Amino acid sequence: MIRKIFLVLAIALAFVQGAYGQGKPFVEITSFHKDADVSKVGINDDVWKDVASYKQPLQRQFLLEPKPKDVGVKEVHVQSVNDGRFIAFRLTWKDDTKDDTLKITNFSDAAAIQFPVSSDPLPEYFMGEPKKPVHILYWKAWRTKDQRDGTQSVNTSYPNMTIDMYTFDYKVTGTGTDKTQAQKDMFIPGRAALNPIDSAHKEIIEEASAEGPGTLKTKPVENTVGDAQWQNGTWTLVMRRPMTVADKESVQFKAGERKPIAFAVWEGHHMEGGGRKAVSPAWAEVMVQ
Amino acid sequence: MQMRKVYNWQLGRNASYIYPQVRPQKQWAMVFDLNKCIACQTCSLACKTTWTSGKGQEYMFWNNVETKPYGGYPVGWDMGILSKLGPQEWHGEKYAGKTLFEAAEKDEKILQHIAADEDWAHPNIGEDEIAGSINKGDWLTLPHRVWMFYLPRTCAHCTYPACLAACPRKAIYKRPEDGIVLIDQSRCRGYRECVRACPYKKPMFNVETRISEKCIGCYPKVEQGLMTQCVTNCIGRIRLHGYLNTPEKAVKENPIDYLVHVRKLALPLYPQFGTEPNIYYIPPIHAPVSYLEQMFGPGVGTAVRTYKNIPNDQTLKGLLVLFGSMEKILSSFKVDDKLAYGFDDKGNEIVKVPVTEPMFVREFFDSKLKVFRQNTP
Repeated sequence: MIRKIFLVLAIALAFVQGAYGQGKPFVEITSFHKDADVSKVGINDDVWKDVASYKQPLQRQFLLEPKPKDVGVKEVHVQSVNDGRFIAFRLTWKDDTKDDTLKITNFSDAAAIQFPVSSDPLPEYFMGEPKKPVHILYWKAWRTKDQRDGTQSVNTSYPNMTIDMYTFDYKVTGTGTDKTQAQKDMFIPGRAALNPIDSAHKEIIEEASAEGPGTLKTKPVENTVGDAQWQNGTWTLVMRRPMTVADKESVQFKAGERKPIAFAVWEGHHMEGGGRKAVSPAWAEVMVQ
Repeated sequence: MQMRKVYNWQLGRNASYIYPQVRPQKQWAMVFDLNKCIACQTCSLACKTTWTSGKGQEYMFWNNVETKPYGGYPVGWDMGILSKLGPQEWHGEKYAGKTLFEAAEKDEKILQHIAADEDWAHPNIGEDEIAGSINKGDWLTLPHRVWMFYLPRTCAHCTYPACLAACPRKAIYKRPEDGIVLIDQSRCRGYRECVRACPYKKPMFNVETRISEKCIGCYPKVEQGLMTQCVTNCIGRIRLHGYLNTPEKAVKENPIDYLVHVRKLALPLYPQFGTEPNIYYIPPIHAPVSYLEQMFGPGVGTAVRTYKNIPNDQTLKGLLVLFGSMEKILSSFKVDDKLAYGFDDKGNEIVKVPVTEPMFVREFFDSKLKVFRQNTP
């Protein structure tokens, strides 16, 4: 099955590359060298004002069912700066609805940037392939709201929800009533199973690796820091990270190097999540000044 | 979508599925006698206190009991998917319509109804609502002119689970040893493809952990040879839990095989969905057959006739008495003139109960105490 998918993918890729010009990637982005502290660069800092913005067209994920019929976001504008130590990306896209509230049927607005761990040979742009991993920086609007207003929970999602008592949540004290948090967490399955979605994190950007569709795995590192803001129907997201990190399975940037890059955006209002997403149709490239 | 052909005995034909046919060594299955359910919700609470008492699970009912025809949890789960699928036909025992996999829209794996957020907020809406209004001068018939019945539900641990097919991460798996379908709580990323895809709406999203959960078939009990919490706590003794073989391998001593395959008394819930669900219902004899056929397939008429004849059917009478009589899973059973017996997989007797309880009539006047007896304690 996977083999077939890759075959289809390779053909699709060849077609796309053929159609868009002599094996050249879709978009060439430049990461401009700036005399600024890029480790602290914010969403609306002046540094972005004179930095070229590249339009990256997005299309529906079209390789694996379920495929979205249509996607809410059709293009994302990408900018990048670096100071030789840190590199930052700013993504801007139109989205009329801000979806950052957690509910049973709510899907979060989200965006991700993907890099190959190694460019030689280049993994398939669609989430990598076995033994050719990709490194993904994954932002979710839920996490931005968590960071800003406190972690969303069932109490914030459903303030009128009622419950008599949680297990081990005794209103009295005494023998047998003192339970550790870990003992209480046994009744919260995802937490007890140490699911990375539910585990403690500092940053709004989740770092993940993948070796093909359906294999996304949270990395135990948080080297990427981010800020996101929704204003007047537009999301602006900044991700910044050191150009080099100790983790060998992470993307590394070097001045003068070209790095393949790919994008995905999810429009929560369209119930986009997982494979229901808008993707850049091939590897783009970022040229690091 | 490239579909595989798998054999679905409930439909009497090959049907489409995402993966090739792989049946477990044993298949978890449950039988419910709907003629006896009184919607006391003891099963729901037994399940809830055992498995879903945590934060984020407040409105999560892996086992629920709803009132048919109008009740449902989540609201309208069945009407939603049935209206999407549209009218379909059975030709005798063979399903001539489309399953949910066969009716999938372009670019989707399965036809789906998505429950709205508020649909999850009313676990027992429509309770005790009847199918129509009672007019002046109405009288009782069988089936009832105005009717309702209770439908207890768990995950069906389907042979061809829609949730498993839908998960893009393969975070859902069906255990080869007992057919229980589980969501790997460490692997799920909360995409909710399973929540969308399951026609029975039994995978549920936990907003606290942001991932999905579902009925686990009480696997820690099952691994010890015990029936599930919802079964053993049922005060109406309407349920039996065990293992089901495919029809050609049916063993008549196996109580589940006997009810489902040999006597065809217990019928699958919405077999037309094409997932081969493993919860089986003895249909309520007072509800209209046409409604029940939509729900349980073409075998309803026969099942109702068989059920009505149970007073003359010592084996079935004995087997129904075994419901709720033990916590251990029965491998086989036997009924003689007086007693019904249940055995484990080594043939050891687990339980022995009288088929008909002896009746004692006490005289109205107690001559020893010189008082009249009252029939209230």
